[in-house]
Amino acid sequence: MKTFYRLILVSLLISPLGISQPLGAQTIGVSIPAATHGWTGGLNFHAEETKNRLEAANPSLRIVLLTANSASEQANDLEDLIAIHNIDALVVLPFESAPLTGPVQNVKRQGVFITVVDRGLSEPNIQDVYVAGNNAEMGRVSANYMKQRLSAGDNIVILRGIPTVIDDQRFNGFMSELDGSGINILDDQYANWNRDDGFTVMQDFLSRFPDIDAVWAQDDDIAIGVIQAVRQARRQDELFIVGGGGMKDIVRRVMAGDALTPVDVLYPPSMIATAIELTALKFISNVPISGEYILGSPLITPENAEQFYYPDSPF
Amino acid sequence: MTDRNFFSKINLKAAGPFVALFALFMIGVLVNDAFLSVGNITNILARSSFIGIVAIGATFVITAGGIDLSVGAMAAFISGCMIIIMNALSNSIDSSIVIILLAILASVLVGAFAGLINGLLVTRAKIEAFIVTLGTMGIYRSLITYMADGGTLSLNFAIGDIYSEVYYGDLFGIPYPAWVFLTIAISGYILLKKTVFGRHCFAIGSNEKVALYSAIHVDRAKTITYILQGICVSIATIIYVPRLGSASGQTGILWELEAIAAVIIGGTVLKGGYGRIWGTVVGALILTLISNILNLTDAISNYLNGAVQGIIIIVAVYLQRGSWRKSN
Amino acid sequence: MPDTSANQPILAARQLSKSFGDVRVLNNIDLNVHGGEVLALLGENGAGKSTLVKLLAGFEPITSGTLNLLNSDGSRGNTGKDWDVRAAERQGVVLIHQELNLAEQLSATDNIFLGNELKQGLLLNERLMHQRAREYLESLNCNIDPREQISRLEVSIKQMIEIAKAYAKQSRVLILDEPTAVLTFKESEVLFALINKLKREGVAIVYISHKLDEIENIADRVVILRDGYLIGSYQSRELDKDDMARLMVGRELTTLFPTNPKPPDSAKIVLKLTRGSLPKLISRASFQLCSGEVLGFFGLVGSGRTALMEAIVGLRKLSSTSKLEVNGREVNYKSLATARDDGVAYLTKDRKSSGLLLNMGLRFNFSLFSLNKFSRFLIDQKREQQEFDNAIKIFDIRAGDLEIKVGNLSGGNQQKLLFAKIMAADPSIVIIDEPTRGIDIGTRSEIYRYIAELAANGHAIILVSSDMLEVIGLSHRVAVMCRGELVGILEGGEIEEHEIMRYATGLKSKLMKDGEPRCD
Repeated sequence: MKTFYRLILVSLLISPLGISQPLGAQTIGVSIPAATHGWTGGLNFHAEETKNRLEAANPSLRIVLLTANSASEQANDLEDLIAIHNIDALVVLPFESAPLTGPVQNVKRQGVFITVVDRGLSEPNIQDVYVAGNNAEMGRVSANYMKQRLSAGDNIVILRGIPTVIDDQRFNGFMSELDGSGINILDDQYANWNRDDGFTVMQDFLSRFPDIDAVWAQDDDIAIGVIQAVRQARRQDELFIVGGGGMKDIVRRVMAGDALTPVDVLYPPSMIATAIELTALKFISNVPISGEYILGSPLITPENAEQFYYPDSPF
Repeated sequence: MTDRNFFSKINLKAAGPFVALFALFMIGVLVNDAFLSVGNITNILARSSFIGIVAIGATFVITAGGIDLSVGAMAAFISGCMIIIMNALSNSIDSSIVIILLAILASVLVGAFAGLINGLLVTRAKIEAFIVTLGTMGIYRSLITYMADGGTLSLNFAIGDIYSEVYYGDLFGIPYPAWVFLTIAISGYILLKKTVFGRHCFAIGSNEKVALYSAIHVDRAKTITYILQGICVSIATIIYVPRLGSASGQTGILWELEAIAAVIIGGTVLKGGYGRIWGTVVGALILTLISNILNLTDAISNYLNGAVQGIIIIVAVYLQRGSWRKSN
Repeated sequence: MPDTSANQPILAARQLSKSFGDVRVLNNIDLNVHGGEVLALLGENGAGKSTLVKLLAGFEPITSGTLNLLNSDGSRGNTGKDWDVRAAERQGVVLIHQELNLAEQLSATDNIFLGNELKQGLLLNERLMHQRAREYLESLNCNIDPREQISRLEVSIKQMIEIAKAYAKQSRVLILDEPTAVLTFKESEVLFALINKLKREGVAIVYISHKLDEIENIADRVVILRDGYLIGSYQSRELDKDDMARLMVGRELTTLFPTNPKPPDSAKIVLKLTRGSLPKLISRASFQLCSGEVLGFFGLVGSGRTALMEAIVGLRKLSSTSKLEVNGREVNYKSLATARDDGVAYLTKDRKSSGLLLNMGLRFNFSLFSLNKFSRFLIDQKREQQEFDNAIKIFDIRAGDLEIKVGNLSGGNQQKLLFAKIMAADPSIVIIDEPTRGIDIGTRSEIYRYIAELAANGHAIILVSSDMLEVIGLSHRVAVMCRGELVGILEGGEIEEHEIMRYATGLKSKLMKDGEPRCD
């Protein structure tokens, strides 16, 4: 019984941690997926960093950052941002497009300014600002590089992500660019944007195909897994790997001129920073910002790698 | 009689979850003024209904000595079925309400049937409940992934609009899901505590052999608990689908653990023989409150949300057991 | 024989007391336990015998008083706060419970050496352990393969293994709590021989039993406990059975077995079994039962009585060639519930594992078998409470606080509650299996009186029992089973100890075909 009373006492002491808003302040709510794998880790890092930077520079601005592990949890977070934090603007990276469309629409009905990041909603006219990477271009840039290095008759394998719209966009962009080049695609499999699946899928590819000239891993987490599998099979001299995202480990290898990973394609998790900054601008300086911002997906080469290298990021 | 005697007479085991709920409530109030806002409270009530309704079904299963790990996957599967049916009927039938009602009927039938399968495998095939429901969990999970082609099933927008009232609407200010939760809770309480069937569940969970020798149809009663669980999952799904209007392989993940956690926090004993419906209700509220409170404050890093939830669950159960052992 | 009282006691308890919370169960006990002596502890259920020996062997902590120990190295000292089972066993004080304490999935050898395994370097010396185990078991006349898994063995063999365990631990003080409750006649003889052997080797034996003739047989000294107090210590030759019974109960006992008038000749046949059989267990059993009659069923362990009774009430399936008639109608009960609704009820012999829910309260247990009586869908809790209060009075069930769990009741009260539970369903035919196993004299006479009353009121009773005196004292007729066959129904002058034994061991049989004795 005593323990219970102690608990209540402790909770009373915690209470000052509650934050209440100063008058005249503006609140931006940020709702993103939780940091479960590399890319989302980077996402969270940049979100936190941007929040701290903006709040320090603008005392009248308040940013609330919530992360979710599932679509329904994210729906909960959106409700809480409205009910508890009374946000004026929302920056959201939806866990999945269709299920979050309704909840975001509810937020919009409260008169909140909406910025959607990366994964679009099912209804495109809900958002005021859309910030995304260019998935189709990512595919095209990767395919272009392959065409430069390889010739007709060469074999490649493809590792895809989680079956979603984004993955389809990348894949279609890649395939249309590769069309007519004569490069032979042995197989493509889903590797769900994580290292373990990248490893096992690549292992299977290596067992099935004695001759592979290149691997499109599409994502750097997958690429890490692929590298391990290839090393284990001692076939690193036969092929090269093209990843995607801009993970610092891969970027470092590109900078060092690694033959196995000669290039990378940018798909920056820091796009969340762009989105938050843009949204904040609306309150700080009231400039027009509505519209779409499609960030480019340039090829990262040994020459330009330095500018894409963020050593502090977890990604 | 001194005050000390009075306190020692309060059955701590019974009061434990309520005290925890009260403590969490107080924390919420102290941390952020907006906690007590109408919007927030109705959100909490609606959110806790899903896990709450599933957990009430789980209370029966666990009290009778069983366990059902397949509830999350079952919910996902039923959601998928409902959406497919509604989308399929959207062309042939005009009235959205009729379509929704048909889907609701289908949901209950599927849930009851899934429960029946679990029950029969446990009682007739004599396979351990843990293993059976682990297996059916895998089956339903992959069925829904297959049905959604790896992606997400989305409900036709027109139907979805009308259906969404079930989740977002309210009666006298209290959201419909909460009303359903309350009704199920009251029915569950009466069934467990005041009927012969309820007594049978307690007896079976306490000692199956004694139950058998007391002329109880053990197999029949156990199967009924699984069917009840399936129907509870159906009802929870009926309220859940209108919220997001979608179902995918990711729907309902970890619901089984949350439901079981709610049941245990509420005071029901995992090995069977003792069950409390109101405890389960409080358990579901506590779990919902925890994630709500974590959203109220910046103080704890978002990365540690899972850790905080886990710690609170362990503490809640420990405090409850600790005092239980003393009074024994 | 050495004059044991002059020896220094191995264990000396001084003003030993024990309380569970506020409840005092032992008061200021002074007791000496000497090597080379068999000390019998007598008392009714709830007198404190089990608790006392648990204190001696470290199973429960002492509340107040001291326990003085003669250590194996010759020094003396009081046991401290760390006197637990391990410390006790290290000093050679071993308690063999009423409830067996064996690991079911392990072998006999594993259990015998559990906690003091023989090693060869780092690894277990299995060969040596099996060999020693076999030796111990052979000295107990138990010829099983020590590699056999416990769960496959008979209860009496398990008891032997428990004793072999104590043997392996080289005890100086061996405490036996109701050891012969599950043993056959022959096995008990072997146990007594072992006890005498250990006595000669200087081991102290503390023996708890309700069987007064056993106590007369082997005890040197008798100590009586009543309500947590030590009433007296006597040399065994000073007391006879009546004295012992009187001291235990503290009052004059009327005859144990009430008079039981035979049922009138006009009594109807309420149950008739013809060619009853159960695959592998029962080959042949035919009998009939009249209202107002007590039909005793005697047999050695494994004769099939419980299996037969369970088959009659629907817990098992009688083979299709069997014919069971109840009240003139042919029946085939599919479940216990159907039998109950027809007025036939079964009182199991395992009150703790199949009779009562130890974790639940008294009222819950009481109404469990007869719930359909006061409910349709909702339970009429008022009526339930009334019937429960009534039953408590009728059966004189004593519990300090009626809200406690059944597991905390004494054995006698548990058995009475089990009776109340079954009788609450108003059966007209009652099959009672081993009603007084592990029950003290006082409660036993209550139960006997109740059974006789039931018969006098017109109920038909089948009494399955391994207690010869009980069977003879209560039954109007005695059916004897041997190795799955009902070999004879004895009446009148035939109901006599030796005659019954002859049938039970297969020496005699009233069966028509195959006149040769089939049992050994």
